[in-house]
Amino acid sequence: MTKKETKDRQYLNVTIVTHSEGKDMPVNFKYKKRHDREKPMALDVLLQAQETKLPDLAFRYGCRARNCGVCTIDINGLPRIACRSVVRENDKLKAMSTLPVITDLVVRRDQISRQLRGKIYRNSGGNDLNVDASEDYHELTSCIECYACLHNCPMHEKNSSDPSESNERYEYGNPFSLLKLQTIVMDPVSSNSQKNDAITQAVNLGLDTCLNCPGCKCGIGIDLKGKVVNPLINASKKIAEK
Amino acid sequence: MRINLVWKQYDVLVVGSGGAGSNAAETASEMGASVLLVAKDPLSASDTKISEGIATVRASGSEDDSEDTLSENLQLAGGDLPDAKITSAFAKDSQTAYDKVRANGLRPKISAITKNPDPLPLPMGGHTKRRSIGHKNSGVAFGHANWNSIVKDAKIDYKEDCWLVDIITENNKDDTKSFVGALIYDAQRGELLAVVCPSIVIASGGLSTIYFPKTDTMRGNTGDSYAIAARAGAELIDMEQIQFLPFCLTSPPAFEGLLGGEPVTASYLGVLRDKNKKVILDGVYLRTRAECSAAIMKAVEDGRGTKNGGAYLDMTANKRAPKSGVYFMNFLKGSLPSAYNNVRQAMSKSESQCEDLWEVRPSAHYMMGGIRVDENCCSIGGSEGLKNDGIVGLFAAGQAMGGLFGANRLGSTSLTEGAVFGQRAGKNAALRARNISGMNRLNKKLFIEKAKKVNSLIGQKGHLHASRIKLTIQRKCWENLGPIRDEERLNKTKLFVSKTRKKLKNVKISNSTKWNQGLIEYLELENMIDTAELMAFAALERNGSLGGHVRADCPNISLFSKPYSTIVRFVNNGLNVTRLPRQQTEFKKLIKFKFEEQKKFLGAKILRLMPMILKDRVLEKRYKKIMNIQKSSITVQPGSVEAAFGDRKIL
Repeated sequence: MTKKETKDRQYLNVTIVTHSEGKDMPVNFKYKKRHDREKPMALDVLLQAQETKLPDLAFRYGCRARNCGVCTIDINGLPRIACRSVVRENDKLKAMSTLPVITDLVVRRDQISRQLRGKIYRNSGGNDLNVDASEDYHELTSCIECYACLHNCPMHEKNSSDPSESNERYEYGNPFSLLKLQTIVMDPVSSNSQKNDAITQAVNLGLDTCLNCPGCKCGIGIDLKGKVVNPLINASKKIAEK
Repeated sequence: MRINLVWKQYDVLVVGSGGAGSNAAETASEMGASVLLVAKDPLSASDTKISEGIATVRASGSEDDSEDTLSENLQLAGGDLPDAKITSAFAKDSQTAYDKVRANGLRPKISAITKNPDPLPLPMGGHTKRRSIGHKNSGVAFGHANWNSIVKDAKIDYKEDCWLVDIITENNKDDTKSFVGALIYDAQRGELLAVVCPSIVIASGGLSTIYFPKTDTMRGNTGDSYAIAARAGAELIDMEQIQFLPFCLTSPPAFEGLLGGEPVTASYLGVLRDKNKKVILDGVYLRTRAECSAAIMKAVEDGRGTKNGGAYLDMTANKRAPKSGVYFMNFLKGSLPSAYNNVRQAMSKSESQCEDLWEVRPSAHYMMGGIRVDENCCSIGGSEGLKNDGIVGLFAAGQAMGGLFGANRLGSTSLTEGAVFGQRAGKNAALRARNISGMNRLNKKLFIEKAKKVNSLIGQKGHLHASRIKLTIQRKCWENLGPIRDEERLNKTKLFVSKTRKKLKNVKISNSTKWNQGLIEYLELENMIDTAELMAFAALERNGSLGGHVRADCPNISLFSKPYSTIVRFVNNGLNVTRLPRQQTEFKKLIKFKFEEQKKFLGAKILRLMPMILKDRVLEKRYKKIMNIQKSSITVQPGSVEAAFGDRKIL
């Protein structure tokens, strides 16, 4: 093995796209492997960059174990959970393209929860809490809110891309918001009127966009099309018929 | 550049959006208070969300589980450090608080027999009753419920990406101190918020980030709650008591410190071995976490540690048993699914199948001490524990508060702590706001001065970076304030803290106002420094090993000696530490507790030494018993879903 080859095995070249004052600035970063066979995660790379070359690099992370859902970034243009995504030579790490960037890899997220404010009324209303929820309910509540599902979502794309301050909440929905609404529909404790409200909210967020869409992709493998979108479309049709 | 100051007025300010914060905000809002909730991280992304999702609910496993029994379990486990009024409140509210979380969408598995939520088949370590309820999707299920409680009816204002800088207090004529508001850096909008309000609930506890390795607890656990409350003059209690989880992974780097197992999942035959395979702790499943952590670290100290600075967790005997082995693997996989998931990803196949030993080491996890409060979460102080000697209007809940766990936290109690005391804090914060009619003689100057101080940091020149100093702190705290401590190390911590504090003026901070990462790192670094100092003083004061605090240079503190809590607080240019005598559990009960503890350990030891055939039969019986299938065992295939005590993956 030549000297250069040995050296190459110790490093991994990646591009980190930093962002400030509305401008992207790609930075080449040489990740130093901690041992020959290390396959670092994107988060490992960002942490080492912060420790060495880019001390003020801004990025979100929380638990390092794919549970908290806050470290999502784009790797080569696709949304990935940074703490559990292996990085390869020449990969490009960048803020998620589907949400407005604040600084570096940090995006603004709360316009999404705000679109459901006051619309997911939940209360047992005296209903018996001691009922088992279905497997589907539990599949939906495994969502970690990583927002990978926003990628290529035609409904979400209808929102203005202008990241202006006045944009406190998004007008159009996204797979995550639909999932939260479908959870109410699937909840055995919800009353019928609560379920109907949830379906109506989904329609108001632009559910018709989903009719011509091949389907969305979940960051952790929830069947969004089968368990969220299609049931909501079917339920909304039923309500419309009535 | 200057960050603009924006004025806000509310009844209640809640800091943190995890279990404690969301419950506080919901309860305060239900009582008619106007509420602002702020958090550094996205909504409900918290230690609650990343937890194993197991909650203590009294009497969920058997009807004879009285409030006194649960309260006593907490007292004894906590080495008599817990405040009896606080443990009683926990026992009293656990069911109603849990049901409130369920009303927001948390759906446990319901037992076909009792028609109630089904607890885990074994009592978790230190609990004398089965009362720990597991949930599908672990803490993420709680995360959804908490998220729902904040978003659902549009009454609670909330802001993500907000760093609490400091709280502001006023000295009253009668010598008391009142909370009047807080200064917050809203990084998302690039604003400083001056929030004027009569009540604050600090629910942003946790300080594991002052160490590395740490578990999957959130990155944001930089000790903010403790440092900020202490800087305002609040007393902190039992700050030497941090919980290190014993069975965490040692490699690869991306997994270092993450949870692998708990004492209970080591099951009946799990033992700890040093690098020479000699047993250093048996009956692991009956031990507390602190005992396991201390055993591993002592082996490491004596040069008997493994390659990556840990010990071996040996569960091969459980696995090898021909009849009960299958049940064991189901038990292991089902009991802590996310921890087992870490193991499967990080270890080899034979290791994850328990055919080989697991290399494990302790990792920083949970803070048991915290802001000194009463059972209604009000800040208190002085030898009498009076509200007027605390900060009036300051409430703390969840991990930020002290007094519930003392020297050791029982498994599954923290999610319930967040719900119970979040709700109590929210209620009492709202009540106080109701009794205060406007902040008419508001001293705006106090806020403006604080804001000036923050603005003077913007554009600070220097050659140091806060993000790098934080890494040094993590290393130093592990070495000198970690699972093994002595006077020399603790003095080193004090020295290190004061040296690091002097470096702050040389930290470089950029000019930007919006999401200034340098400023964020600086604010967190300051909190880490203050927290480490407060902990070091408390750890020096407790000159003996107890619970999560292990002093290598002093003997263990006996359960039979007079119990006391440590209290630390900042005073003019220094730090004051005192002891608070605690009520000792009746002698009779202590002896009974010790006796039963010893009996259980002896039983575990005998079981381990039995011949395999006999052992296997006993265990098969036990596993079957906890799976409730004794009578139908003929129709159930071992290893099938039905045999996995209910659908095991739920737990």
